[in-house]
Amino acid sequence: MGVMRIGHVNLRVLDMDAALGHYIGVLGMSKTGEDEAGNIYLKAWDEWDRYSLILSPSDRAGMNHIAYKVEHDSDLDALRQRVEDYGIAVEEVPAGTLQYCGRAMKFNLPSGHEFYLYAQKEFAGKAVGVTNPDPWPQNRTGAAVHWLDHALLICELNPEKGINKVAENMDFMKKALDFYLAEQVMVGPDGDIPAAAWMFRSSTPHDIAFVGGEKMGFHHCAFFLDSWDDVLKAADIMAMNKVRIDVTPQRHGITRGYTIYFFDPSGNRNETFAGLGYLAQPDMPVITWTEQELGRGIFYHTGELVPSFTDVYT
Amino acid sequence: MARETRQADNDGAQVFTVELLDTGEVFACPEDQTVLKAMLALGHKGIPSGCHGGGCGVCMVKVERGEVRSLPMSAEHIGPQQRRDNIVLACRSFAQSDLQLSVAGKMKMNMKPRRYGFV
Repeated sequence: MGVMRIGHVNLRVLDMDAALGHYIGVLGMSKTGEDEAGNIYLKAWDEWDRYSLILSPSDRAGMNHIAYKVEHDSDLDALRQRVEDYGIAVEEVPAGTLQYCGRAMKFNLPSGHEFYLYAQKEFAGKAVGVTNPDPWPQNRTGAAVHWLDHALLICELNPEKGINKVAENMDFMKKALDFYLAEQVMVGPDGDIPAAAWMFRSSTPHDIAFVGGEKMGFHHCAFFLDSWDDVLKAADIMAMNKVRIDVTPQRHGITRGYTIYFFDPSGNRNETFAGLGYLAQPDMPVITWTEQELGRGIFYHTGELVPSFTDVYT
Repeated sequence: MARETRQADNDGAQVFTVELLDTGEVFACPEDQTVLKAMLALGHKGIPSGCHGGGCGVCMVKVERGEVRSLPMSAEHIGPQQRRDNIVLACRSFAQSDLQLSVAGKMKMNMKPRRYGFV
């Protein structure tokens, strides 16, 4: 079946104690491991694999890599062939290279972002168990996010120099990894330049997104919440903890999600994302947003594009 | 400088005066609040506001006069050259005296032309 879902992101942080205060205290994740390099592994309560977030101590913020989980071990070999046939070099790394994971395939997206595919990660189990479970666990702190939902990567876009890494990633994800396109933004005088894409393998509107910017970077990773009420409560918890909020609760036109954008203490953007948007299916017609309505696509209520959306990232 | 301030605020923190040379804005900055937070709290806009964690670099300013104390800032944006040039991130810097600052970020992002939607 190929790629199932986002597996984890590895973020760089400037201050590990502050980062743990944020991801554990404010978002409600749990620490589930650490290694000799000082990396800390975390999971959310509704996830069953051992981690979905790796925090790495560093002198700069941003993302080291992003990883997606495939269904079968044999998918790794099949997808390796597809990626190599596409023209991108793949390195197979042995089990344990990604901590607590089996062997993995490592390569770079056309945009340059480091990307892994893996089939096996150590099992940890949901916090509510699987036998007659409660709908949610009582012992969580903060916003109690359910799971890592998706990530948005900034890709170099400079049409005047003929550079469009958004378009290159879209083509690669479709042809080599069988991702489907849910929504896209088309810009330029003739409306024919792809400037952003939301793509999926699961049944939600996006498992990964690409947006054009000045240079490659990490825009955000999003954590799932059930409802609009949970989004409001999460925003209250952020305010209580003086978390820097970029965009207060509102709705995205694109994906229909209920959102808050905010930053971790090192300046990496997070999102809490609620609502499943709609059922995304391989035969669903692609939704297109024009440059004129781009503001409403991103922030549906105000309809105004805020400069920080594309200029502030790590 | 518009005025010299050394008064204490309600918490007993010293309050300094910050002047932004680009816009002429002048605002009060308690010693225990970052320059960026103090600016925003009073409704000023002169320094671009981003992640507030020292990671994104948009609030880069040059300290033209005065002293600041800064928390760790991303080496992606503040390297040896910037340190020599007295360039800091306003979101990670606390006033230690009255300050004169100029905006040093490569993107004065609020004024940037965008020909292709996002860029």
